[in-house]
Amino acid sequence: MTANKILVADDEIHIIHVVAIKLRNNGYDVVSANNGAEAYELACEEKPDIVVTDYQMPVMTGIELIEKLRANEETRHVPVVLLTARSFAVTQEQQEALGVSACLSKPFSPKELLKTLQDILHQQELALQH
Amino acid sequence: MLRSQESLVWVAVTVALVALCAAALAGPYHSGIGAGWRNPLAALCLSMYAVGAVGVIFLGVCHHRLVRAITSIARQLRSKHGAPLQEKKPWGRGNAVRTLQADLEDREALVERLESELSDLRIRARLSERQKQHTEAILYSLRDAVVVLDDHNRLTMANAPAARLLGFDLEADRYRPLNDICGERHGEFVQFLQQSAQSRVEGTRRELTFSLEEDLHTFDTIVSCVQEGQAVLGVVAVLHDVTREKEISQMKNDFISHVSHELKTPLASITAYSEMLVDGEADDEDTRKEFYGIIQSQAQRLNRLIEDILNVSRIESGLMKTAKEPASLTILIEQQMSMIRSYAEEKNITVTGPAPIVYDQVYADRDMMSQVIVNLLSNAVKYTPAGGSVTVRTAVDETTGRAQVAVTDTGVGIPEDEVEHVFDKFYRVGANNKQAKGTGLGLNLVKQIVEKIHTGRVFVTSRVGAGSTFGFELPLAKVEMAEAT
Repeated sequence: MTANKILVADDEIHIIHVVAIKLRNNGYDVVSANNGAEAYELACEEKPDIVVTDYQMPVMTGIELIEKLRANEETRHVPVVLLTARSFAVTQEQQEALGVSACLSKPFSPKELLKTLQDILHQQELALQH
Repeated sequence: MLRSQESLVWVAVTVALVALCAAALAGPYHSGIGAGWRNPLAALCLSMYAVGAVGVIFLGVCHHRLVRAITSIARQLRSKHGAPLQEKKPWGRGNAVRTLQADLEDREALVERLESELSDLRIRARLSERQKQHTEAILYSLRDAVVVLDDHNRLTMANAPAARLLGFDLEADRYRPLNDICGERHGEFVQFLQQSAQSRVEGTRRELTFSLEEDLHTFDTIVSCVQEGQAVLGVVAVLHDVTREKEISQMKNDFISHVSHELKTPLASITAYSEMLVDGEADDEDTRKEFYGIIQSQAQRLNRLIEDILNVSRIESGLMKTAKEPASLTILIEQQMSMIRSYAEEKNITVTGPAPIVYDQVYADRDMMSQVIVNLLSNAVKYTPAGGSVTVRTAVDETTGRAQVAVTDTGVGIPEDEVEHVFDKFYRVGANNKQAKGTGLGLNLVKQIVEKIHTGRVFVTSRVGAGSTFGFELPLAKVEMAEAT
C-alpha cells in the first residue's frame, strides 16, 4: 500500500524538518517547500493527499496558495491544514470559505498535527466508501 | 390751579354777599335822604351784587365742568389699570382730585417699576450678548468642526474647520438648509443630523468618512439634539478627526501582531523539538544532538528578538539612556571587524576595513554605534554568497561637517520596489528569505539609533544580483559640540 503523501510548506526550515521527521516516523511520505509559489508547483506535480501550509510565507502566502489550489481543477479538492503563529488570523467563516480542514496555532504539537492528518484521511476514506 | 380757582370762588361768593348786604342796607336809607347821590350808590350795590352773582354762577359752572373732567380722567385711568370703577361719581371736587392724584401716583410708581425692569432687561441683554460672544469665540477657536442647526435644519452657527470640511461659506450660507448647502456631497452626514433631530436623542455617535485635501479622513461625529420641553430647538454636531489615531492604533495592532508572530516562530521550533525528544522520536544520539542544537539556537534567536524589540521600543518612546562622547568611527569599526571576520571566514567572504582617517570623531554612544556597525556588517556577510566580499569605507566632508560609513557587499541585492522598505520594522526582503533569517528589526534599529538618537541619516543603494551598499552619516564631534554651545 502506498503511503499517504503530505506536502509541507513553511519558510522555517526547522519546522519543515521536525514535521517531516514526525510524519515519516509514522509512515507518511513528505515533500516540502519554502514558500507558497514553490508549494503550488509541487502540489500540481506530486498530487499530495494533504497540504500542510504556514499562513505567513514569502513570495506567496498560505492563503494565496489555498486560493490557487481551489482555483485549479486538479487540486481543488485536496484537504489543507493551516499553521499560523498569528492569533485570530483566520476566522471560522474564512476557513469554511477556503475549504480549510483544520487550523493549528503555532507553537503546535507534532502529535496533534499527526492526529489531525489521521482524522482527515479517515474522513476521506469513509466518504469514499459511501 | 385748583386751589386758586377755589379761592376765587370764595372771593366771588363773599363779594356777592357783601353786595347783597350793601344793597339791602342801602335801599331803606336811600328813600329817606335826597335822591341825587343815593340812587348811584344803590345802583352800584345792585351792580356789585349782580356781578357777584354772575361770577358765582360762572365759577360754579366752571368748577362743575372741571370736576367732571377730573372725574372722567380718573375713570379712564382706572379702567386702563383694570381697577374697579366707582359705581357713583365721587361727590364733590375734593374726591375727584384725590382719586386722580392717587391714580397718577400709582401710574408714577408703575412707570418707575417698569423703568427698573427695563434697566434689568438691558443689563441681562448685555450679559447675554457677552456670553454669546464668549461662546462663539470658544466655538471658532476649536480645532474640531462644529455645526449648529435650528429646528428647521438651517445652518445657524459653524466654525472654520466645519466650513473647510463641508465646503461652505458661513456668512453666505447662514440660515440655509444644510441639505441645500452640502446634501449632495455629504449626504450621510446630513441624514445623520436629520435622524438625530427626529429621534430627539441627546447624544449619538458615529464614525463618518470625509474627503479632505484629496485624502480620506475618518471623523468621530457626535450629534446632540437641543430641546426645550417637548420642542426641538435644533441640533449640534461636533466632528473630531480620528484618522491619525486610527492609523496609530492600526500600527500598534500590526506591531503587536508582528511581534507575536516573530516570537512564536522560534518558540514553535523549541516546542516541537522538545516534544519530539520527550516522546523519544529522536532515534539516535546524533539526531538528539541535532535537536538540542536547534532548541538552543532558537532560544538564542528568541532572546535576540526580545532584546531588539525592547531596544526599538525604548528608542521610539525616548526612554533609551545614552552616554554620548567623542568617538572615532574607524576605531569603532575595527573593534567589530575581528568578530565579523570569523563569521565571514566560514563562508569564505573577504572583509576589508576602512583606511584610517586623520579626524573622524563623532559625538556618539559607543555601545549603540557598535550595535549599528555590527548589524550592517553581519547583514552584509549574511546576504553575500560564499566567495564574495564585504568592504567598509569611511569618509569625512569638512564642508558639511559630516562623517560617513558605507558597507558594500557583493550579495544578492534587493529588488527596486523593496529598497525603500528595508529599514521598516519586521520587513524582510521576500526573495532573500532563503539566503538568511533575521529578526526583521536589525535595520530598523540601525535607523532609530542613527537618526533618532544621533541626528544622522541612513542610506541604501542596491541592485539585484550585484550587491548592496548600506551606510550612515553623522555630524562630526566638533560641529555637534559647537552647535550645542
